[in-house]
Amino acid sequence: MTDADWLSYSLSDFLMFGPEVFLRLFVRINQDVWPWQAIAVVMMVLIAGLLVRGNTAAKRAILLLLAAAWVWSGAGFLMEYYGPINSPATWFGWAFILQGSLLTVAALVCPWERTARRAAQRWQAGTGWLVVTALLPFLVVAQTGNWQSLALFGITPDLTVAASVPCLLMFPRRVRWVFLLLPLLWALFSMATLWALGIRLMLVLPAVTLVLAIAGFRFSPRPAQSPG
Amino acid sequence: MAIRWSRRQFLAALAATGLSLRVPALMAAPGQKAITRAIPSSGESLPVIGMGTWRTFNVGGDEQLVAERTRVLKTFFEWGGTLVDSSPMYGSADDVMGEALDSLDAHDKVFSANKIWARDGSATGEQDSTLRRKWGIERFDLQQIHNLLAWESHLETLKQMKADGDIRYLGITTSHGRRHSDLARIMEQGPLDFVQLTYNVLDREAEQRLLPLARERGIAVIANRPFQGGNLFRRFQSESLPGWAEEAGCSNWAEFFLKFIVSHPAVTCAIPATTRVEHMEENMGALYGRLPDEQQRRRMADYVAGL
Repeated sequence: MTDADWLSYSLSDFLMFGPEVFLRLFVRINQDVWPWQAIAVVMMVLIAGLLVRGNTAAKRAILLLLAAAWVWSGAGFLMEYYGPINSPATWFGWAFILQGSLLTVAALVCPWERTARRAAQRWQAGTGWLVVTALLPFLVVAQTGNWQSLALFGITPDLTVAASVPCLLMFPRRVRWVFLLLPLLWALFSMATLWALGIRLMLVLPAVTLVLAIAGFRFSPRPAQSPG
Repeated sequence: MAIRWSRRQFLAALAATGLSLRVPALMAAPGQKAITRAIPSSGESLPVIGMGTWRTFNVGGDEQLVAERTRVLKTFFEWGGTLVDSSPMYGSADDVMGEALDSLDAHDKVFSANKIWARDGSATGEQDSTLRRKWGIERFDLQQIHNLLAWESHLETLKQMKADGDIRYLGITTSHGRRHSDLARIMEQGPLDFVQLTYNVLDREAEQRLLPLARERGIAVIANRPFQGGNLFRRFQSESLPGWAEEAGCSNWAEFFLKFIVSHPAVTCAIPATTRVEHMEENMGALYGRLPDEQQRRRMADYVAGL
């Protein structure tokens, strides 16, 4: 094909499904996993509590919970539900599982230290994270008008990724890019898809990831936060 | 004035209503047959309105949406449609079509058209076999090369498959007005039964060379993107139809757009895609009634261009 041929394609020409089918994915997975959404909620509360504690064991536990969330949303939402209508989602599913595996290794192997933040700062970080992670899922409900389309952390990829990025800032900068690369790629893919589908409200989810991930590449935590 | 019905009249009217609901084609255009065109290479007749699956039948494992798409397909058959066109590029569309055909037990009603979409020129037979299995049919009526991809190798295999009776017709496709000069070259060279290209009231480049060439070479034409991927409705649905639309046989925008296409003498069939039964009914309305003549076609194109 010539360059002119390629330029004649629009973003939506690469999508083989419409917004109705995409938004139904959220309803379907919620119907199918019911009532196990409770586990996702417990995971969110646990991570918030662990962010408040901020000790070495808490950091390891946060990473293990994040690892479980990445594997669950990758193997479930991406590979079982999204993949059959959009093949790149299956490739992302495998990447999510790999990311989960890397997070597990990092949790168990890295020599984590206690965070240098004061208790009040840790409390703010934990509660702030919980409030945002609990509110963002309602964007999908606002888009569809259907409560069953709630996009929970650990179950759906956009929420899992957006909620993970702030926690990944505990990694030192020299290794952090390894863990921020996939969130960045996912955010770009998700934004392009939502834009082409005309689902504007949900663009907030990957936009949050994108902003946090770009900031994460630049942000440098205090030395005491880093594994040695 | 009050109308007094006898019991017999009332029951007859009730029965007629019930029949019309079950067989919409009977009431779509009283006394008129579906408009058909002959496939030049065989003389076999095809209804001029077919059905595509792009972006509509790719619903994955969503049972609710599979059932809805099955109702769309059922409506298509009830109105007298036969040609259904799909592609392995369209995600799960072939699986969903197979499920729908099974549910309706409609394998003998469909004129099945699909595409070979593989860079590997030796994958023709394997992909055709996979698609046949998904649709639950013994052979495709029409097998096409998708967007000219590895067309030389696939065309040779398709010729052999046709000679062996594994497919009935062979063709090649393009869309969005791309690679028309390449397509023209292939049409001039090879024995093709069908070409598929984009043609609608706004995208009319095919009128310059491809459509006259198809007539000259005796090649059937399937027009894809008849609504420009839905853009025509988004742009013009808020506008009213011209007063003379009824004279051209059009009572809504879907009929206007589709009848413009299928009234071109070189076009065999247009393949709109939809997710909704009521839209399918509107589309199938274009299968009945009058077709615009050449003067009316020019007027239709001018009217849309002027909006």
